[in-house]
Formats: sequence, C-alpha cells, structure tokens
Amino acid sequence: MTAAVSARMEMPWRLRKHTGLAGVLILIAAVSLVGGLVSDRFITLNNFLNVFEQTTDLALVSIGQTLTILSGGIDLSVGSLISLTSCLTSGLINNNPDRIIPVVIGVLALGMLVGFVNAGLVVALRVHPLIVTLGMGAVLQGVTLLYALGPVGRVPRGFNFLAYGRVYGLPLGATIAVLLCLLIALALRNLPLGRQVYALGDDTNSARLVGLRRTRILMLVYGCSGFCCAATGLYLAARFGVGQPYTGVNYTLASITPVVLGGTLLSGGKGGVIGTLLGAFLIALLNNLLNFMDVSKHYQLVAQAVIIILAVSVYVERRRTV
Amino acid sequence: MLTLAGISKSFPGVRALSGVDLKVRPGEIHGLLGENGAGKSTLIKVIAGAYAPDEGEMRFADAPARWSSPRDAKRHGVHVVYQEFALFPQLSVAENIFVGQERRNRLGLVDHARTRRDARELLERLGVLLDVDAAVSSLSIADQQMVEIARAMVHNVKLLVLDEPTAVIAGREVALLFDRLRRLRESGVSVLFISHRLDEVFAICDRVTVLKDGRLVGTHEIADVTRERLISMMVGRELGDLFPARSAEPRSGETVLRTEGVAVGERVRDISIELKAGEIVALAGMVGAGRSELALGLFGGVPILRGAIHLNGQRFTSMTPARAIELGMGLVTEDRKSQGLAMLLDIAANITGPALSEVARRGLVDRRLENEIAAREIGRYRIACRGPATKVATMSGGNQQKVIVARWARICKSVLILDEPTRGIDVGAKAEIYRIMRELAASGVAILMISSELTEVIGMADRIIVMRAGRVTGELAGREATEESIMRLATSERAA
Amino acid sequence: MSERLTTSVELPRPDASSWSLRALLDRFGMILILPVLLGIGGSMSPAFLSLDNLSNLLLQFAPLAIVAIGQAFVMIVRGLDLSVASMMATAAVIATSLSGSAGGVMTVFAAALLVAVAVGLLNGFLVTKRQVSPFLATLATMILLQGFRFAYTQGAPSGNVPALLRVLGAGKFQGIPYNALILLALAIVLTIVLHRSAFGRRIFIVGGNPVTGRLFGIPSDLIMIACYVISSCLAGVAGLILSGYVGLVDNWVGQGYELDSIVACVVGQVSLQGGRGSILGALTGAAMIVIIANEVLLLGVPIQVQLIIKGAVIVIAAALYARREASSVA
Repeated sequence: MTAAVSARMEMPWRLRKHTGLAGVLILIAAVSLVGGLVSDRFITLNNFLNVFEQTTDLALVSIGQTLTILSGGIDLSVGSLISLTSCLTSGLINNNPDRIIPVVIGVLALGMLVGFVNAGLVVALRVHPLIVTLGMGAVLQGVTLLYALGPVGRVPRGFNFLAYGRVYGLPLGATIAVLLCLLIALALRNLPLGRQVYALGDDTNSARLVGLRRTRILMLVYGCSGFCCAATGLYLAARFGVGQPYTGVNYTLASITPVVLGGTLLSGGKGGVIGTLLGAFLIALLNNLLNFMDVSKHYQLVAQAVIIILAVSVYVERRRTV
Repeated sequence: MLTLAGISKSFPGVRALSGVDLKVRPGEIHGLLGENGAGKSTLIKVIAGAYAPDEGEMRFADAPARWSSPRDAKRHGVHVVYQEFALFPQLSVAENIFVGQERRNRLGLVDHARTRRDARELLERLGVLLDVDAAVSSLSIADQQMVEIARAMVHNVKLLVLDEPTAVIAGREVALLFDRLRRLRESGVSVLFISHRLDEVFAICDRVTVLKDGRLVGTHEIADVTRERLISMMVGRELGDLFPARSAEPRSGETVLRTEGVAVGERVRDISIELKAGEIVALAGMVGAGRSELALGLFGGVPILRGAIHLNGQRFTSMTPARAIELGMGLVTEDRKSQGLAMLLDIAANITGPALSEVARRGLVDRRLENEIAAREIGRYRIACRGPATKVATMSGGNQQKVIVARWARICKSVLILDEPTRGIDVGAKAEIYRIMRELAASGVAILMISSELTEVIGMADRIIVMRAGRVTGELAGREATEESIMRLATSERAA
Repeated sequence: MSERLTTSVELPRPDASSWSLRALLDRFGMILILPVLLGIGGSMSPAFLSLDNLSNLLLQFAPLAIVAIGQAFVMIVRGLDLSVASMMATAAVIATSLSGSAGGVMTVFAAALLVAVAVGLLNGFLVTKRQVSPFLATLATMILLQGFRFAYTQGAPSGNVPALLRVLGAGKFQGIPYNALILLALAIVLTIVLHRSAFGRRIFIVGGNPVTGRLFGIPSDLIMIACYVISSCLAGVAGLILSGYVGLVDNWVGQGYELDSIVACVVGQVSLQGGRGSILGALTGAAMIVIIANEVLLLGVPIQVQLIIKGAVIVIAAALYARREASSVA
C-alpha cells in the first residue's frame, strides 16, 4: 500500500555506539598476541601496567584533540601549549613545595584560557581552526621561548609522584588520564552542549540553520583541549623534573593518531574519547612490542605509519578539507 | 497570526523585496507562489528571523515582531522547514529532532530515554513509523522530511513555513503530508506553503499569495482563482499551453538503447527496457522506486551488477561515464548543485565540461572557441546571463538547468536521460526545457525523462514506463495514460 | 522567458568580464602587496633593497615557492600534502648518499625522482582508492619516509652534496640565483599546465566537485593522484636545491616547509575547500612569508618574537582573505 518507508535494519542502539571501538580493540588484541609469541614477559600484568603508564602523556593530549576533531576542527597549537605549560610549571614552582597547588591551578586555567582564545578567534575572524591554531601554536612557541630558552626551574621531589607514583598498584598519572577521559565521555553524552558538539561536527551548515550556538560549543571544545594540554605539560614536568621549551613539539601531529585509531572520523561528528584512550594505549603497546623485538627506533616510526594506514583503511571517511 | 506590511529588503545590486504585504490567518494553510527570483526565499528568511527587513513592519500573534535571530523567531513559534534539510546525517532520528532543544532531566543533563520516547510520540502524531535510533542518513528523503517537521513540532509551533515540501516526494507521500498538515491546521497551527506545483496548491491551500519580482501581485481565496489566472499572475502573461504540441505520429526510429536484465545498487533488478530514436519515454514511479539509480547505472555513474546494456548495437556489461559520453549519452542529474554543475566555474566551462577535448588544441584549452560555443548556446536557449564568463553560482535555478541541458543537448547523439529536469524551476524556464526536449527528440535523440510530476509525464511522454521498488511494473502509451493508471502501476504489485 | 538579467536572490557578485580593471585587480591584485612589503623593508634599512639582499631573498624564496606550487595543486584538488618536508629531506639524503656513485649527478636525480613518484602514487592511492583523509594519508607517508630515512642513515647522514647541486642551490648566474631561474621555469610551465591546459581545467572541475567531475567522464582518481605526484616531485626538486644551498645535509632538511607551504597557499588565496586558487597566489604567499621573515630578522627581533609575529601574520592574513572569500561567493 503506502510506499513502505523503512529505515534499514539498524543494530541495537548500544551496539551501534560501540562499533567504532571494535577496530582498535582488535588491533590491541592482535599486537598482544604477537607480543605473547615474541616474549613470555609481554603478556604480564607488570608489562601492561608499564605500558599503561607510558600512555599517559599521549592520552592526555589526544583526549583534548578528540573534542576538537569531533567538532569538525582541529587544534594544532597543542604542542606549543604543552611546552609552555611544562616550562611554566617547573619555572614557577622552582623547587618550592608551597607553590605547587597555586601553580597547578594557574597552569590549568591558562590552558583553558588559551583554548577560549582559539575558539574566539575562530568565530570572530571566521577562519578555519586549522589556520587559527597553527598561528596560535607559533605564537605560543614564541612566548615559551621568551620565558625560557632552555630547561628552566625545578620541580620539587614530591611532584614527581604525579608521574611515577602508584596508587593501589595503578600508575597515578595514567589513572588520572582515564578518569578525565571518563568524565569527558560522560559530559559528551549527557550534556546538551556535548551532543551539540557532535551535531556541529556532522554538518556545520545544518547547525547554523538550526540555530546552535557555535561560539559556546567551540569554547567548550577548545577550552577542554587547552586544559588537557596543560595537564600534559604538568605531567611532563613531573616526569622529567624540569620543563623544556621544545618538549611539546612532536605532540601536535602525534595527538591525532590515537584519535583516528579510536574510530573518530577526522571529518567530525562521529567517534569518542574512549576510543582515543584505547588508541593511545595501542600506540604505547606497539612501541613496547617493538622494544621487545629489539627493533631499531627508526623502524618504530615506520611501524607506526603502517598501522595508521591499515587502521584508517578500515574506517571509511567522508570527504572534507582536512 | 502573521502580518507583514510594506516589507522591503535589498542586497548590494538587487532589490529582493519591495513593499510586500502578507497576512496569514490562524489555522489556515496559505500558499505562496512565484517564479524563481520572485523573492520567496528572501521573504521566508525575513519571516524566520534570518534577515532583518530594511523597511516595513511585521506582527506575529498580535504583537510586533522584530526577530533578532532565527532562534528568537523559533522561540516565538515560527518554524521553517527549508528545502535543503537542516539535518545531521550521522546523528539518530531522535537526536536530530531534539538538537538544540534537548530533553533534560532534573539535573539539566540530557534525558536519553525521554528523548527517544518523545521522538516516537511526535512521529506517531504525524502518522509516521520510524526507528528513532536510526541514523538519519539511512532514511528516505520523504522520511527525512518528516523528521524535519517533527522537529518543528517540539515547541509550540504557531506558524510552520514549508519551503517546497513536495519537491522531493510524490503521490501517496504527498497525500500523507497533506493529511498531516490538515491535522496541524485543525489544532490551530498556521502553515505557509511555498510551492511551484499549482495542483498541490489547489489541493491543500485555503488562500494563496503571488509574488513577482519582489512585489506582491495579489492574495486570493483559493476558490476564487483558476490555474491560468495564477500562472498569469506569476509570469505576467498568459502562458497558453505549457507543453509543446506532440507530433501527430510519434516519430520513432530504431532502437537506440536496450537493457537486458540490468541490476543496479541495492534494489533495482531485472530491468529490460527499450528506447527508440526520436521518442520521449517517461520513467514514472514514486520517489524511492529506483529510477535515479537506474539512470546512473545506464550512464556508468554506478556499476551494473548484472545484465547488459545495448547501445548503438554494441553490448556492454559495464559502463563508465566516459564511455557513455563517447557513445552519445548524456545525463541531466537530479541535483543541479551537487552533481550537475561545476559550481565554482563559469558557463563556458560548464558547457564544454564533458567535451573538453573538443576545445583542446595540443592539450591547451582554446578559450576563444569555448566562448564562441557557449555564446551560441546562450543565444539558442535564451539563458539570462552576462555572457559566457558568468559564474553559474550566481544564476537562478532555471537558467542553471538550461546550462546543463545545453551542455548535453550539444553532444548527445543517441540518448539523453533527464532526472527531474524541471524540479524547483519556474514556469517560464520549464516551458523552455520542454521545448528543448521536443526539438531534440525531433532530431532523432532518444529521451528518457524521469519525473514525479504526473502532469509533466502525461504532457510530454510518448511512452511511459513505470517502476516500483526497483522493478518495472508496466508500460503505458503516452496518449492513453491517466494519472490513475500511472499511480496504479506505481503502487501495485508487479504486473504479470 | 524575459530577456532581463535574472539574479539569484542571494548576494550576487557583479560579474566582471575578463578584461575590466576590476577583474584584473581581483585576480592579480594580491601581488601588489609585495612592493608594499618590500617598501617597508627598505624603510627599515636601505640595505634591504640592495641587489645583494634581494638575491639572497630569492635564494630563500625559491625552495619554498617550489613546494608551495606543488601544495597548490594538491589543495585545489581538495587535498593536503603534509609529506613534502619529509620528501625534501629524503631527496637531500639521497643526494648525499649517492653522490659518489657511478653516473654521478644523474643517478641522484633519477633516484630522487623515482622516490618522489612512488611517494606521490602512495599518497594518491591512499586518498582515492582507500578513502583516507589527505591529512592522515600524507601524515602517515611523512612518518614512513622519516622512518626509512633514519633507518638508512642510522641517524647520521654522511656524504657530500654533489657539486652541481651546490651550484644550483647557492650559485648565481649574472647576479640571479640559479634556483630562482629553476623556479621561474617551473612556475611558467606549471602555470600553463594549471591554468591553460585541459588537464588543469579538469583539476579545477574535480577539485570543485569530484562527483561532477566523474559525471563529466573525467577520471577523478587519476587526476588527484597526478596532483600528489606533482607535489612530491616538486618537493624532491626543492629538497635537492635546498641541500645545495645549505651545503650539508641532515635528516631535517626542509623542516617546517609542510606547514609553511600550506600557509603560503592559504595566504595566497588557494582555498582549503578545493576548486579555487592559482600558482601566482601560491608564489605571492610564499614571497610574503619570506619577506616578512627577513624584515623581522632585520628588526633584530629575537627568535621568540619572530615566531609570535609569524603566528599572528598567519592568522591575520587568513582572516582577511576569508572575509574576501565570504563576500565574493554567491
């Protein structure tokens, strides 16, 4: 009778949300399998905890990057912001335990502020986030160098706990990253603004027609990204005991890989932070495997590139500019 | 409910609206007619709060209305469903309905269960059955439209503005839409119904307003006007018969195109049809019957899964656009902007597009030759523009369509497929395109016209092939076909 | 149908015919900013406009300009090529490691060309046949090349840059640097290819809309792959020239060029969305970057501030052009 208008059979809602994770989970399993074959020390709790610990820095920055990519943009200023915050941390604390709390708070706030500025520029100047954050990245690197041309300040002994400490056997830094990830995942799912991030990334034009407040959404997204960068900077300062002006350089492009591996589309609108966390873990796991296999560091890079290529061939992207 | 008085709006170089008056009563369905360029979209945007009028006043629900933004207008009860939907393909139906107006629980967080429940309820009120968790991209266009309308109903909508709602649906789906609109009307909602289709305006509207060149021509009760009067109000002259006369004997020659059990995409199966030189064959059916997929398959835009195509005596089991063009085929696609035109380029480039080698001398493009060709076509089809260098993005829909038709008509020697060639263009341009089609047929080209507008089908076709759910359900001779006989084939089970 | 001009109701752009002053300014106007920038430099220091300094500027400008041209091809076709810097370094490493071999310089060129074509094909393949986002595909290629380069040189490249390259990279012919002449030749040829040939027209059609391109019978995939190959090859050339200029080789030749070339293009009005742009634009953008960088250097400004200025310039320039683009599209 009526032209039966039916949607294709959709998988149960819960499952649909999680199919993006299947890819990265399979890869983790595959790498673990290979690792187990290579060495019997690979699949041990101790090793996995170590890998977990090594995931922290990449995980922290990539979580923030996930948000920007979900919204249809990207944040290329992360590297410089990490450098800046790590230098400020060690430089301002300067071995003075009293200063730890105010500096930590201040640095995190600064990260968010930078994010807000990024968002503001994107909206006010009507320029693609790629360009704005690229420029901001250069500016931030300059500011960092103004502050310190080399390693600066010192972090008091206790602060290292952030990076090396264990709480109930779990690495503190990594656990914080996981908690942050869960918090953001919940926010994305349950805050109206969180849902709107997906909408904005899915179709900017529709978002405009529907009247979504783009400014607000972008502030949230880039603010979070800035916060995560600041967190990464704090962590690195804790890990190395001192902040360095070029410490963040590689993180800019590196923060994108876990996002993609975790099933988030570069074009935006689909994906999530949990996948990113797993993606970061996968990369750390892979590096760990290559160490076990005694592979030269140089080939580690090659392996990473191959994994990226394989992984993204699986997810079909929609065409877009980035 | 809505009163516009003396609304004017200008843009650099163009006066879009001059002194327009409009009154929409509460609980009425009010039609808005006008050619492309008459000012309808600008008026909609003013009503929706996207533009502020330069002059004039607007009143809504007995209070002065000065919208600061579309959000503002929506809050007051004005909701617009645009022709290009504002949907989010990867989000679910429920999420699409509630985006920007999310259902919250006591903590201010999104209440997912309530979102899905309310979405289902809204759709039921419209009489639609959908999986609210399905991604909107997986829905048919008609269903997507329902999602858009459901979105409008979330808040107390007082005025629903529909911009060409029937452009993408036909037959029974249109009847359903009208049913739902009548239900809305009963509940006191006013509807502003913009359309090109006079039959539908007569079917659903209580009153109708005609715009021309940014001015109000008149507002009438639907019972007080005739089709011809409306056409003359829109165009400014009596148009006479829209469709050029059919030649006494359909002059068809040998078979140019024959398909043998062709299957394309997900649904189109077992298509065996024939096209003869000089005849105009209409491919009728409901939206979703698979006609466009078939057209793309014939042209090589999508692969053929089974079967073969016989073109000019040769047999092909696969086709590519390049080969199709070489063999003299052309395809005027359904969607001008996203498939048919190189939107960033000018008329000349769009006309020579598929035949670039014609104007290429030793690898370089001969611009002078190209412009000459373009100028000739501009003259032949009376395309309104400033010359071959005009960017197509600045042209009206009707003229854009003429460019596309000109492009293919020039190089098509065997078959020209047109998919909804007159969708969304004004009456005057429509008449031109019909004329072009007849001329081409007379010169020996076989024409396959996909159309959901039955008057057009009956008016133009020598023969009508009807499809349903991916298969051919029957064939009718153009002369003898009636709307009922076509609809019967379009909605029935497969004829024996 | 009336004969009057039908304008769409949205903002129509007054459509100038090809030869009016307005149109000329529109298309070529951006180049006027160069004399202005040079003037600023001259007012900061008269030595800025000396022949010597200008030819030094050219020496810095040429490699970036060559890469920017390649980047423009890719951007017009809706892509992005992040692997160019890595390709430059790879070409440089090839130059030094093969410089002593039989066949001399020709072997170097052949090897570099081979690698460049392979890289371009890989990029193109990933983007077209595997639907990988250009950002990601070229990022992956960049890392891949880096890995191979490091593994091959064990982190420490050795060997000398072939003499010919040193001449081409740093030498001058009657005061004009050789590399600028190479740039000129490439620019002329590629401008003809992009703006006048059928191939170039197809690039613009495909870049504006790949679907339309395919329905015109244009092999969209091949066109895109060709653009990536062009970009890689130009990056290879630039790498060879730059290594000649610098005189010694490390694994980081060309570092930063990938982002710089993108910025040069964006500033030069090559659109990130595809379908729009010109070689002249890419060149102008690259020139702006080089001139401003040098002026900043002149100010005796420390590198930190230079970076800040660079960042600010990027954003401001993009904002200005975005505004122009927004108002000129119907």
